[in-house]
Amino acid sequence: MPPTSTVDRPSNVSEALARGRLGVPSVIFFVLSAAAPLTVVAGVVTTGYGVIGVTGIPLAFLLIAAVLALFSVGYVAMSRRVENAGAFYAYVSRGLGRPAGVGAAWVALIAYNALQVGLYGTIGAAAEPVLDRIFGGHPHWAVVALVAWALVGLLGLLRVDLNGMVLAALLVAEIVVVLVFDLGQLGNPADGQVSFASFSPDNLFVPGLGAVLVLAVLGFVGFESAVVFSEESKDPKRTVPLATYLSVAIIAGLYALSSWTMTVAVGQDQIVAEAGEQSVELIFNLAAAQLGETAVTIGQVLFLTSVLAAMISFHNTTARYTFALGRERVLPAVFGQTSARTGAPRAASVAQSVLGLVVILLYAVNGWEPVVQLFFWVGTTGGFGVLLLIATTSVAVMAYFARSGGGENLWRRAIAPGLATIALFVIIWLAVSNFANLLGVAPDSTLRWALPAAYPVAALLGIGWALLLRSNRPDTYARIGLGAASAAAVTPDAPATVEATR
Amino acid sequence: MLIADEFFLIAHNDSRGKAKLHPAATGLGLAGGLLGELLLYGHITVQAGRVTVIDRRPPADALAHTVLDQLIGEPQHQELRTWLSFLAQSATTSVGERLARAGVLRRQESRRLLRTTVSYLPIDLNAVAWPATRLRALLDRPDPPGVPDALLLGLVVAAGLTREVLWSAGPRAHHRLNVLIPALPGPLKELVGHTEAAVGAAVLRGIP
Repeated sequence: MPPTSTVDRPSNVSEALARGRLGVPSVIFFVLSAAAPLTVVAGVVTTGYGVIGVTGIPLAFLLIAAVLALFSVGYVAMSRRVENAGAFYAYVSRGLGRPAGVGAAWVALIAYNALQVGLYGTIGAAAEPVLDRIFGGHPHWAVVALVAWALVGLLGLLRVDLNGMVLAALLVAEIVVVLVFDLGQLGNPADGQVSFASFSPDNLFVPGLGAVLVLAVLGFVGFESAVVFSEESKDPKRTVPLATYLSVAIIAGLYALSSWTMTVAVGQDQIVAEAGEQSVELIFNLAAAQLGETAVTIGQVLFLTSVLAAMISFHNTTARYTFALGRERVLPAVFGQTSARTGAPRAASVAQSVLGLVVILLYAVNGWEPVVQLFFWVGTTGGFGVLLLIATTSVAVMAYFARSGGGENLWRRAIAPGLATIALFVIIWLAVSNFANLLGVAPDSTLRWALPAAYPVAALLGIGWALLLRSNRPDTYARIGLGAASAAAVTPDAPATVEATR
Repeated sequence: MLIADEFFLIAHNDSRGKAKLHPAATGLGLAGGLLGELLLYGHITVQAGRVTVIDRRPPADALAHTVLDQLIGEPQHQELRTWLSFLAQSATTSVGERLARAGVLRRQESRRLLRTTVSYLPIDLNAVAWPATRLRALLDRPDPPGVPDALLLGLVVAAGLTREVLWSAGPRAHHRLNVLIPALPGPLKELVGHTEAAVGAAVLRGIP
């Protein structure tokens, strides 16, 4: 008989907590559903060709993917050591100090809000063909945007995070449609032969390069969120890094392929003019000629659901960012409160909705053009903000590991983040000098400086706010960057024992 | 009445036993209550986020006994957050059952759309509404509440149930509540802090 006393007892606790843990595919689904492939392919890429006028977009996606993969090496290594790992400003707080962290938090608030609000500009265009088919009407874009706004605001408050299965099904359908459209485009090349010219560096390294790179970054936003699931993943050391790299690879492959096949079908020399003219309808018009009406209808419906899903996803991301800052008391504590019944971050969600409403009304009243001036301008400005955050986080990762590098090898703590940092700052420099190209405005336009300048201003205000907190509310200052965990932060005056009496 | 029982009743203060609080926070708040009971009776202590058993003698209450046995049985797990997450998974059922055994609630199974849901219906509506009323009255008084009541109030705040208790209270009650938690003894303050952190993390994950 074996000695039973020495046999390891299975742990009920570990087993119970392991149930419901996420594996690599689940985490990838979470990440990609925020990426909304059809929104990027049908909306961002086509508008990008039209506005920027550079044909090297496919190569740009691959280039950015390589840089982000390098960045992720240090990022996921540090994520295991950071509370509130889903938020870039938490890394900046730990790596570069709390004032820089609050600066990054302010930048992040602007950037994610811009990404969300920008989507209201394209929902009208996305809904128009669908509404036309069902009702035969052409409502004003702002009406559609307001309906979508109400839906997003309501779902945000009820905390109906779209059901995981629904999101997964939509995502798979979107990817299938994108791939089918790509095949259709490949099968009908404009000049009778398939050209790989879009991948030639000659078509990317031209004036406007920085603009295209920001556009590509915009397509990857969301890849950073895999680290949120560190605690819920089956094996944080393997699941989260693998999910991050695979997400970057899948996004890069899909977008590079789709943006390339577009140029094949339209023609390398025609794509800029055609995309400028047809905007978000370009790939549907191509599909109509190549695949027939049914494919187009399916594509258009999925484009609409894709934009809606992206809106809800960014609304929730932004609300949670605000919630985390409210929990730390860096923002007023009311933002850290939740609705009891649903657990939705109520005040944070309402604040995001109010901003969305103001922007929609501003554009509607002034009669500004929604797709280019709201969706593309505000969206790419948001993408630029995320680029700034990624670059700052990359520096923070290096600084953090330089101080407490134990346990990570040289590649992870210094070389990869170092290379990524250099590349990211070159991209930022190119982007700033090309901002007029990115917006498609004259080089002497005030917008060209006004939009990117919002970020340094916000960062400086954030740093100033942190310094004020340091002298006035040291308790709050100590919690910066901890997010929800700030509630458990040890305060020095706590007595060590309790006389448990009653 | 035990801490977790009162928390349960506050979180289900409703004539049909419907929840006033979302499931993640309910579970974590009840888990905090169950660990709080063991803390108050001196069976365990909490320091630097870790739970240590200091008295292995069985508690009088059967559920507290079970929880203590689980803590003793798996000494390799000491993180307070681990135990909060673990106990949260079953706390709604186990505390609901305890209240049913005590004759405060009545267990009812209902089948709808092929799913069986269990709810705990009040037997006496006044008994169910009492804990929230009692806490509100406590905060209206100038003298500070005792340690167990202060812990319960701390867990109510941590889980986000403040409005349920203070819906009609004045600013003075809110002020008293705000100074209450920092004045808790160290281990209890840690328990409240970690419960609040776990509830916040559940909100940030976005998984209901």
